[in-house]
Amino acid sequence: MDLAAIFATELRKTMNQKIERILANVQKPGRYVGGELNAVIKDKADIDVRFAFCFPDVYEVGMSHLGMKILYSVLNEQPDIWCERVFAPWVDMEEEMRKHDIPLFALESGDSVAEFDFIGFTLQYELSYTNILNMLNLAGIPIKAQDRTDLFHIVAAGGPCACNPEPLADFVDLFFIGEGEQVDLEVIRLYQACKKAGKSKREFLQEAAQIEGVYVPSLYTVSYHDDGTIKEMIPHAAAPKTIRKRLELDMDQAYFPDKFVVPSIEIVHDRAVAEVQRGCIRGCRFCQAGFIYRPVREKSIDMINRQCRSICEHTGYDEISLSSLSTSDYSQIEELLETLLSWTDNEKISVSLPSLRVDGFSNELMDKLKTVRRSGLTFAPEAGTQRLRDVINKNVTDEELMKTVQTAFEGGWTTIKLYFMIGLPTETMEDVAGIAHLGQQVVEAYYSNPKRAKGRSVKVTCSASSFVPKPFTPFQWEPQDSIETLHKKQQHLIGSVHSKKLTCNWHDADTSFLEGVFARGDRRLGKVLEQAFEHGCKFDGWSDFFSLPKWLEVFEKCGIDPTFYNQRRRSFDEVLPWDHIDYGIKKSFLKRECEKAYQNVTTPNCQEACSACGATCFQGGICVEKR
Amino acid sequence: MKSVRIWFHKFGTAKYISHLDLNRCVARAFHKAKLPMWYTEGFNPHAFVTFALPLSLGVEGKHESMDIRLLEEMPKEEIIRRLNDALPKDIRVYDVTEPKMKPGKIAYADYEIRYAADDRDPQELKKALEKLFAKDEILVEKKTKSGIKTLNLNDYLDKYKMTVADNEVVLNIVLPAGSTENVNPSLIGEAIKTYLGYSLFAVIIRSYLYDAEFHIFA
Repeated sequence: MDLAAIFATELRKTMNQKIERILANVQKPGRYVGGELNAVIKDKADIDVRFAFCFPDVYEVGMSHLGMKILYSVLNEQPDIWCERVFAPWVDMEEEMRKHDIPLFALESGDSVAEFDFIGFTLQYELSYTNILNMLNLAGIPIKAQDRTDLFHIVAAGGPCACNPEPLADFVDLFFIGEGEQVDLEVIRLYQACKKAGKSKREFLQEAAQIEGVYVPSLYTVSYHDDGTIKEMIPHAAAPKTIRKRLELDMDQAYFPDKFVVPSIEIVHDRAVAEVQRGCIRGCRFCQAGFIYRPVREKSIDMINRQCRSICEHTGYDEISLSSLSTSDYSQIEELLETLLSWTDNEKISVSLPSLRVDGFSNELMDKLKTVRRSGLTFAPEAGTQRLRDVINKNVTDEELMKTVQTAFEGGWTTIKLYFMIGLPTETMEDVAGIAHLGQQVVEAYYSNPKRAKGRSVKVTCSASSFVPKPFTPFQWEPQDSIETLHKKQQHLIGSVHSKKLTCNWHDADTSFLEGVFARGDRRLGKVLEQAFEHGCKFDGWSDFFSLPKWLEVFEKCGIDPTFYNQRRRSFDEVLPWDHIDYGIKKSFLKRECEKAYQNVTTPNCQEACSACGATCFQGGICVEKR
Repeated sequence: MKSVRIWFHKFGTAKYISHLDLNRCVARAFHKAKLPMWYTEGFNPHAFVTFALPLSLGVEGKHESMDIRLLEEMPKEEIIRRLNDALPKDIRVYDVTEPKMKPGKIAYADYEIRYAADDRDPQELKKALEKLFAKDEILVEKKTKSGIKTLNLNDYLDKYKMTVADNEVVLNIVLPAGSTENVNPSLIGEAIKTYLGYSLFAVIIRSYLYDAEFHIFA
């Protein structure tokens, strides 16, 4: 290898000179340069469609996201499509880019996002919406869909928040509803055909709306009652009245990449990830994911095992995380771990479960996880009293929690983290104090356990987030607690702590307020988003940037009352902004669940009995398998 | 068990991998390459790797090296092939040798610094830099663990060569490097900013490392 040649030419062409010049002035420049192991580089001459997969947050967050890894590979398997990654530049980088006239660029080619056919955003949380507008603007692309008139720059969006796409209706050309493995590609193929036939953007969008799982907001008009609630949602140009989600029915047939891009700098979840199942059997009433990903579909042990091996071999990671909404609910979890441990031990690979259920932590499971690095254990009882846990259908008892922590203490663990929510429907101050009491009980359980680790002290942390009612849950009609009420509850919680071994902390109520507005918002919020972006709101999910006063000013300017969206109790017969989106879950089921919640009555999980939620319409997963 | 020294170039996008991240990066690469490595026998076993001398973020390296311990012999070509298959594209392994010198012996490094002239006439820029270098006192602030220290760069400017190439001024300079005394080449850029009032875009490349007697580190 001729060294002189490498250093004279190679290094100068690997990166865009203009970008490189500003990197000296920013923190963590490694976020912006690409060049990672397994990044896909293609020859532009072979490419017909360029797809910019945009994650509206920084590199370290976006690179931790499994969905992006899957879709990146699905698209790049196609020889005529090149999918590249784009992340939101951190504020220091954005400032430099704007100062030096550098548009938002994709990591693989370094090309401006304005050169791409598709600009696809993944919607993981509501507080990333301003970043979407900011990223489009940084790319020099008009933020409003109506201002992008050519059949080019198709702005698409998908992910969990697409279940209520309405707040983004002004900006996004089309939404992918449900799982994207197949529908993304179908839309791209249609785009190619329309381009070839010389069709207009509107013609393309009308045809795209005919594909199952595609929602084109511009083909619908909304009318309102005098009280501001929705009267009707009217489709045009033969667009469907309801849009049903897409999903993979057979997880063993579903596409899964054999390798991931391996970041060269440390990211949030820096490990290999294998997906063991989609959906969750539980039906906790606050949890949107528990409803919109139904039905539960498991992968076979053999498939998971093969995928784990392949990912480890292609990435070099020494840790593999078994991902799903509730991995300990995987029906053969112990057999799966045994299969994996038969080779991971020898190859110095550790296996971790991201989420453990209070009732899913057995001695056997613990022994298998022991080979893994011993950090703290985290459980989520979600509520402090049995009554409230029944309301939210979190079917775990105090006894189960005590049994589980005793098992953990005997296994040598001394750090326990418990997750709770405050602001849940029907919650009283007694329920709030119950959080601290439960934490205290865990502390006491430690000292009463003769088999605990000798000479070590216990550390229990109770972490309380603020409940935000979400679409497609039984609590979708509920008012969210006001910031004042949440503050009172937080104070009550801290006042209920009487031990130094117990720490209670909580999440900021201000961000939950805004999350609540956009989670159940309608398309009238578009002008609020646009104004907020113009006022410089960005990275709202980051406490260092979020400013509620700024947002309230914007709401006022737009003449919109945010509490109409987050603190109003809706009636069961109100037309909801997301009623035209169909996740298979029937509104009547959600209503039934809500009424049961008020009566403190629980519902069995999908493994125990079918509760007729409506997901059987997909004819897959647990709905058709033997229980 | 056998110690081997692995030589690599670090350039392009890889110059933005910090030393801490490089540690993680090569650990994954060794794991993926399945070399017969010696692992530490602690609570948290990991492959044993020592770098000759960390490279600052943003600086390229022509002859970087790290030492590992192998439990069994493996042909050098095989090691190179496997590692290059497992590393980011801008870290390239080019040789594997038997370590001859201990990293603790390192006392100097030579750098090539390419200052972009941009709108300035490169000959004029060269003159301006030479004039600056001729000053008796070129004070810059250096951040150390114990706080900010003032350094006279003039003490270190005895071994340099300046040329003009294309639209750049190329400075070749030897500076103290290693655990006892280390002078970061970016300090010259700081001096230019302080004394000449402008900041220049610079590509900085570290080439060879030397011991106190100027033997090349090998």
